[in-house]
Parts: sequence; C-alpha cells; structure tokens
Amino acid sequence: MSAATGTAPAPRARAAERAQGWALRAPLLPALVFTVVVTQLPFLVTVFYSLQSWNLLRPGSRTFVGPANYLAVFTDAQFLGAASNTVLFTAACVLVSMALGVGLAMLLDRRFPGRGVVRTLLITPFLIIPVATALLWKTTMFDPVFGLVGFVLTPFGLGDVDWVSQYPLVSVVTAMVWQWTPFMMLLVLAGLQSQGRDVIEAGQVDGASRWQMFVGITLPHLRRYIELGVLLGSIYVVNTFDTIYMMTQGGPGTASANLPFYIYQRTFLGFDIGQSAAMGVVVVVGTIIVATLALRLIFRSFMSAQEGIS
Amino acid sequence: MSATTATRPAARRTDPLLRARRIAGRTGLYAAGLAVFAFSVFPVYWMIATAFKPGGELFAREPTLLPRNPTLDNFDQVVNGNVIPGVDFWQFLVNSLTVTLGSVAVGAVLALLAAIAVARFRFRLRTTLIVTLMVVQMVPVEALIISIFINFRQIQEGTGVELLGTLTGLVLAYSAVSLPITIMMLRGFVAAVPKELEEAAAIDGAGHWTVFWRILMPLVAPGLVAASIFAFITAWNEFIIALTFLGRSSETYTLPLTLSYYFGRYGTDWGSIMAASSLLTVPVMIFFLFVQRRMVSGLTMGAVKG
Repeated sequence: MSAATGTAPAPRARAAERAQGWALRAPLLPALVFTVVVTQLPFLVTVFYSLQSWNLLRPGSRTFVGPANYLAVFTDAQFLGAASNTVLFTAACVLVSMALGVGLAMLLDRRFPGRGVVRTLLITPFLIIPVATALLWKTTMFDPVFGLVGFVLTPFGLGDVDWVSQYPLVSVVTAMVWQWTPFMMLLVLAGLQSQGRDVIEAGQVDGASRWQMFVGITLPHLRRYIELGVLLGSIYVVNTFDTIYMMTQGGPGTASANLPFYIYQRTFLGFDIGQSAAMGVVVVVGTIIVATLALRLIFRSFMSAQEGIS
Repeated sequence: MSATTATRPAARRTDPLLRARRIAGRTGLYAAGLAVFAFSVFPVYWMIATAFKPGGELFAREPTLLPRNPTLDNFDQVVNGNVIPGVDFWQFLVNSLTVTLGSVAVGAVLALLAAIAVARFRFRLRTTLIVTLMVVQMVPVEALIISIFINFRQIQEGTGVELLGTLTGLVLAYSAVSLPITIMMLRGFVAAVPKELEEAAAIDGAGHWTVFWRILMPLVAPGLVAASIFAFITAWNEFIIALTFLGRSSETYTLPLTLSYYFGRYGTDWGSIMAASSLLTVPVMIFFLFVQRRMVSGLTMGAVKG
C-alpha cells in the first residue's frame, strides 16, 4: 500500500483518495438518510406534538400550548398509577427473570446427560407469540375454576383464587417473568461459556468457596452480559402492551394499566394526540433514567461484595 | 485471600457436618432448578396438550396430563372456522409472512449499509448518530407510533398513497422499529473486520464490489443472520402497530391480531385458542432452534464487544 501511494505525487493522490472515498460513501448515504428519517424523526415529531393541544376528534383545535401537556400529565392520577405499575412490572419482571436466568444458566453450564434437550426446552417460552402467552396464562393457567394454577395450589388452600381479577399485577408479572427468563438465561449462558477455565481453576486452587467464586470471579465476568440483559429486558418490558391488553385490559378498572396501555387508550380511543405525545416523551426519559439507575444500583452492591472478598 | 483460606479445602474434606451441609445445599439447589424448569417448560406442554383435548376434557375438575381422546377438531376449527367472517385463515398466514419477510428484507439491506457507514467512515455527527440510535432503541413503540400514525395519515390524505390499513405501511413501520437495534448489532460485526484485510484485497486489484461481496459479506454474514432473526421475531410477534394501523381492514390482519379475535369470539373454547397459539408458535420454535446460537452471539457481539 505504502509503495503504491508513495510513488504518486501527493496532491493528486489525495484528491483521488477523496473521490474514491465519496464513491464508497455515496451508496451508503440513502440508507443512512432513510434510517435517520424513520428512526429519529418520529421521536422529534412526537416532542413537537407534545407541545400542542390537539385532539383528532375536534378538527381545527390544534394550538401551541407549550409545557401545559406535561403539567396535565403529571397531575393525572391515572397516568401516575400507570407509571407506578410500569415501574413495578419492569423491576419485578427484570429482576426475577434475571435471577432465575442466572440460576438456570449456572445449572446448564455443568455437564449432564440431556443438557442440549433441557436447554432447548427452556428456551421455548421465549418463542411463543406474546399474545399467545397472555392467552395461555389467562385461560388454562389462571382460570379460577378450571385453571392449572388453582388445581396445583388447591392443597395449599389457594384453589379458588381468581388470580387475574383479584391479583392482576401478580398474574401479569408471572406471565412476563415466564416469558423473559429464557432470554436472560441465554445471555448469561453465553457469558458463562466465554469465561476462561483457567481463572476458575486458579480460584479452586486458592481454595475459594463456591459462593466466593461466584461473587468474586463469575459475577464480575458476567457483568456486561447481565447489564445487557437488564438493559434490553427493561426496554422491552417497559413497552409491554400485548400481555396487558390480552390478560386484563388494564383492569379491573385501571388497576393493572401500564403506560403503553394507557397511552394506547388515550391515543387511539381518546385521540388526544398532544397529551399522549407528552406521555410518550415522559416514558422515554423515564426509561432511560430507570435503566441507568437500575444498572448502577445492581452493580454497586455486587461490586462492593466483591471488594469485601478480595 | 489465599493466606486466609488455604487451609479450608482440607477442613472441608474431613468435617462430616460441613459435608452434609454441602450435600443438603446441593440437593436444595437441584430441587430449585427442577422447580424453575417445571415453571418454564410445563405451560408450553400444557398449551400443546390442551390443543389436542376434545371439549369434554377441557373443563374437567381433575385435569389430565395427556389428552385421553386426542382430537384434531380444534385445529380444524382454527383453519376452517372463519374467525373473521369472509377471510380465510391462510390469508392471515400469507399477510404475516409478507409483512415479516418484507420488513426483514428491507431492514437487513438498510441496516447493513447504515452499519457500514457508522462503523467504517468518519463523518460529522457520527458519534451523535450512534448515541441517538442507542437512545431511539429505548424509545417505547407507543411514543413513536403516535407520530408515525399521524404522518401516515397525512401522507395518505396528501398523496393518496394508502399506508394505514395496508401491508406496505406495516412493512415500513416494522423496518423502522427494528432498524436501531439491528444497526447496533451489525456495527460490532463490521467493526470487527480488520481494515487491513480490505486494503490488502484492494491492492490485489479487487474492486469495491468485490471487496464488499468477497471480504466483508462473509465475515458480517453471521451478524446479518442474527439481526434478521431478531427482526423476524419482532415483526412476527408484533401486535400494537398491527392493531392500531390496520384498523378495520380485516383482510390485511396478521396472525397475532387474528389470535386476539379468537379470544374475543371463542373466549371459552380453550381448545381452539390453544390450537391457534400452538399453530402460530411451533413453526417459529422449530426455526429458532436451528439458529439460536447465531442470534445470541449476534446480540452479545454487537453490544458487549462493540
């Protein structure tokens, strides 16, 4: 390469290089422009809409109102209820499914007969269409009379509980944890399998206990994988719509409505574009804050535990 | 650390109490593992088992593990039952496949080109673009569909191009939704291809297309497969955009939307609901089982090492 460019006169080579650079870039430009237009613009437009009073049912009602929508959103008791439900759903679902996922991945990381089959079976809940997952849990699992959960829990005196209407949050979280555990497991397993055997052997030689090894060696190694799982999990669980829509319709009343469901109601049943857009923006900011905080919180406790050992 | 714990392995081997505790601990661990395994796997089995049960067995006080008289009636009801009058079940399948494959194809081409641009070329606002792509990845679909919905409506009113209630609009919306994450996944793969390799090929007289097809593509292909699987699953499962954009044009409904109609129409006929659920899920399962390793490596490579 240096020989080819070294012999050519410098300015001409640079001009040629630049032309070549543009010839390379030009075909990529439309894709980049399209990507920016379809991914970035809608959000900016949403921000723009959120500053307007605009209801599709009242044509000509569109006016610029500044931050009024945000004030209205934050004093809307239903929105605040939906927001706290969303935080609860997300935190419970991500933490529980991550804990179960880490546990399953640790077990799957050992050798035992039939490991491949077990692994395959464990992934299946993640592959079921979310709408089907919601229906499965709502009908055959949680039905108060003929549901399997009631049948299994009858010996414990919990046979006649109408889970979906009496404990809608628990029911929805259960279905979501069930759906997300395999995803967490797969990510953690990928992390475990990329771990060097020599580190573990060194730990064993040093006489570290299983728990010490887990907290001191495995967990720090898994950190980026767990972070990724928590991050992607939070993003998707915050956005859960189909499970709520199919299982509870946000009910009874608004007891189990989360933000996506509430925004859906306000947008497509109430046609209140301005306020819905403001809610969307709040959700975006909230998601980013919560996801970042959750990551910090989880790892501060683990990292301090690690420092305590070493 | 080694100084304080060096004596412990010996102690552990001899102390019977500690050993008993370890065995108890291990038994507890395996029992817990088994319980979680049952929690994960049994509902899937139950879905499929229920799909084969005739009406009488569905509502038994004592549910049976296996269908006593397995039947295909439920599947027949799904395929030939006309859940939405006037539209064939196969039409929904074709709609779902069209939308899914369409958005995967559009998304793969765009994501690959955009990923190359982001990973390979320095340009003004490059970092800004990468950061905003990551942020957009976090934006809830609900926040985006408001403006996409309105823009589609305005385009429809302005130009007469039908985007709401059509599969074209759905393909566009789905590509837009999965683009940020697929670009981020692919960026890691493109960045991992050594630049020297491309330069060496260029010196050997390879043109840009040859470099692209012969050098870059084979190395990025696993990432492209992973991103496509991701986009496939997103589009195949997608519900809220289909629900809101397709409106009343039932001849364009996708399968998840159809499934929700099953519940509305046959709410108490669990056999049909579970048969429909199994029917929509099992193909995806089989497909995914073949490609799962690639998808995980794609996810972690793009994001963990990117």
